[in-house]
Amino acid sequence: MKRLQRLSSAIALSAMMATTVVPAFAGPVQAATLSGGFDVGPGGFQGNFNPLAATGGFTWLSVYFEPLLTYDEKLEKVVGQLASSYQVSSDQLAYTFTLADAKWHDGKPFTAKDAKFTIELAKNAKTGSVLAARLNAVSSVEAKDDKTLVIKLSAPSASLMDTLTKVMMLPEHALSQIPADQLAKNTWWSTAPIGTGPFKFSKYVTDQYVELVANTDYRGGKPALEKIINRYFANPAAAIAALRAGEIQFTYVDSNDLKALNDNKDFRVIEGNSFVVNYLGFNHDSPIWKDVRVRQAVMYAINRDAIIQSLYGGAAKPANCAYVADQVVPKDIEAYAYDPEKAKQLLKEAGWDQINGNKPITLLTYYTTPLAANVMAAVQAMLAQVGINVTPRAVDTPTYNSIVLNPTPDVAQFQMVYAGLQNGPDPGSINVGLNEKQIPPAGPNVARVRMPMLTAALDAALGETDAAKRDDRYQEVCKVMNKELPWGPLWVAKRYGVASAKLKDFIWTPAPGGGPYQAHPEKWAIAE
Amino acid sequence: MLRYSLRRLLIGVAMLLALSVLIFAMLRLTPGDPIDAYIDPNIPMSSSDLAELRTTLGLDQPLPMQYVAWLRQALTGNLGYSIKRPDQPVLGLVLSRVGPTVLLMGSAIAIAIVAGIATGIVGAVRRNSIADLSLSVFAVAGISSPPFLSALVGLYFFSVYFNWMPSGGMLTPGQEFSVADLLHHLILPATLLAVAQTALIMRYMRASMLEVLNQDYVRTARAKGVFEFWVITKHALRNALLPVVTLIGSTIGLAIGGAIFIESVFNWPGMGLLMVDAVEGRDYPVIMGSTLVIGACVILVNLLTDLAYAVVDPRIKVG
Repeated sequence: MKRLQRLSSAIALSAMMATTVVPAFAGPVQAATLSGGFDVGPGGFQGNFNPLAATGGFTWLSVYFEPLLTYDEKLEKVVGQLASSYQVSSDQLAYTFTLADAKWHDGKPFTAKDAKFTIELAKNAKTGSVLAARLNAVSSVEAKDDKTLVIKLSAPSASLMDTLTKVMMLPEHALSQIPADQLAKNTWWSTAPIGTGPFKFSKYVTDQYVELVANTDYRGGKPALEKIINRYFANPAAAIAALRAGEIQFTYVDSNDLKALNDNKDFRVIEGNSFVVNYLGFNHDSPIWKDVRVRQAVMYAINRDAIIQSLYGGAAKPANCAYVADQVVPKDIEAYAYDPEKAKQLLKEAGWDQINGNKPITLLTYYTTPLAANVMAAVQAMLAQVGINVTPRAVDTPTYNSIVLNPTPDVAQFQMVYAGLQNGPDPGSINVGLNEKQIPPAGPNVARVRMPMLTAALDAALGETDAAKRDDRYQEVCKVMNKELPWGPLWVAKRYGVASAKLKDFIWTPAPGGGPYQAHPEKWAIAE
Repeated sequence: MLRYSLRRLLIGVAMLLALSVLIFAMLRLTPGDPIDAYIDPNIPMSSSDLAELRTTLGLDQPLPMQYVAWLRQALTGNLGYSIKRPDQPVLGLVLSRVGPTVLLMGSAIAIAIVAGIATGIVGAVRRNSIADLSLSVFAVAGISSPPFLSALVGLYFFSVYFNWMPSGGMLTPGQEFSVADLLHHLILPATLLAVAQTALIMRYMRASMLEVLNQDYVRTARAKGVFEFWVITKHALRNALLPVVTLIGSTIGLAIGGAIFIESVFNWPGMGLLMVDAVEGRDYPVIMGSTLVIGACVILVNLLTDLAYAVVDPRIKVG
């Protein structure tokens, strides 16, 4: 009996053993292959291969495609990429580009015809292009000869250069046969795309990774790496796990995951400006925010320095308008230093008890990170101390957009939003969130800001064709925002990437939408 | 048997149709459409471009019209194109994910059946021993730990902390395909997916084995001097397996739910990951397509379970 029991245990045990396999040894990693999570985080656009449809993901796309113009690595100025130089006519209506000597990955030369073809595709909304409206001012594109391209405008446009950095050049000889409205459905993008960049598309393994191989004929020199692999991850946490396991050498990282990596010699933390201003958007359709003293009270009630220190670990800069960049922020604006007594006083003067009292106010956000949840909780507690009762509600992006972009929104669903908006490198980016002409459905001015002075200031800044005067115009925008408080501006946070200490000459910055910028992937290298 | 199967399949088709109406209605009740999912609030887009996209996708049509248009296409086997990846026909997208999911779930179910039945027998034969008690503790822990938790804990220990297993994916990027590499990626997610099922099968097997071991014919067999090993495997096991077979069929639904979590955590390129991405991106065609395929699989598996039941237990007649 005993023996039989032992026998039956052995059978069971061996059955269990049979289901655990000894781990197979992974092969040695080739030193000349760099793997990274290039589409992880807010600048990424995982699974998109079509630059015309890209609202982000340019860090990766610009490894194999190239635009005419790009930003320098500090995102301070626009520089030439496929255009070696350019001239602007005195009336600002004609831009003449001289193109670089470049070859497509299939060996055919890149010409002005390709550039004309690409810009016309990007202007055509039927292709699914997300740049069409931004290229509205372009009246014609001409290829004067193989190396000269002329873009003519119907009106001067200060944002044209910024928009052109997002237009990745596409080969006419490969795409001209496809009807514009079928272009997005074509499998070319994820099977055999060709660009002019330092790496060539090699393969895409569904939901797993994209592999590029070195373009040995690259005009900027032969790349140091043999392969670059962009691995897909469901979230930054999964990417960090792969980074710590040594499977990838680079990823974006949420600032609250930094602590574990900061003092680790194997990794280098890369810090950069997010160019996104976080703000509390007052829904101006709701009567409770009518009195500017109430909006000021919100600003004085929130201890932004404490939130930045304790939640962001110091990695954010307080904002008193949409900007924090020195050249567009006037010296003498109100700093809204933390002063709960002043906030109570202002609310009393405005008659807050009659306006709303302690009725709950919905504070809607699409930020679902743990950090954002903590920020909302802190804001809720600080506002409660002065007598403003907000209830945070975090929803996913599609839900948020469907509520706030609704032309006839239910004010009760969102009296206030906690949101972010791109405020650079082109300071004109914020116009769509504040200009009266951009109230939904016309645009994304979700706070329903209707301030004639602000609209006038924004229009003047956008229409300013004299680059020397542009900063002063944006200072004016900042001044109006600071005084009238269409939003309660909070801060501009830093964003981070983490790279293996073995990476050499690796350039990355957390640009909005992922860039593009001069990252020079041909110089990236890995030490043995 | 054949007529019974055909009738069941016809009912299945009707159920799929009802399912498609239900899913379609539920999708339209969720706030936000594919375009809302496409807009990054930090990087605003122009409304005219968005309106153009909505028209192109037919999202400006009234709902019943949209459903009829979808159904008309679906009946011809065309499930449309993904909205997030317009270069991907939904049918191809879904079918390319079936393989990895079947591999993951199949491995997990195989692990669960073998381990669950074996440990269940041990628990019954050596009732109240240390082995039985520790197995019971494991079972309670296994049944009560949600898959996303066990997935994260397993991921942390086996790949981040000890670095024995890859942290995700199905194959090592940039390497040639090899079976060893595939197994290396498969073993951790499959084992974690199997935990809850193993525990369930074990509890059932133990209870049903105990019941059978107390039956008269088992006592008779023992009295005749049959070896204990044969008593258990030949006389008791087959009868004790009956309720377990039904259970295995019904836990497949559980495994699908678990697989969705496991695939998300381990970035396994299967149906679960596809569906999670599709729901986040409000990719209607992909959600519809993958739900229908999963629905069809569940209906088929249930039918096969009932047929298998009839094979195992001669007393049962289907039809």
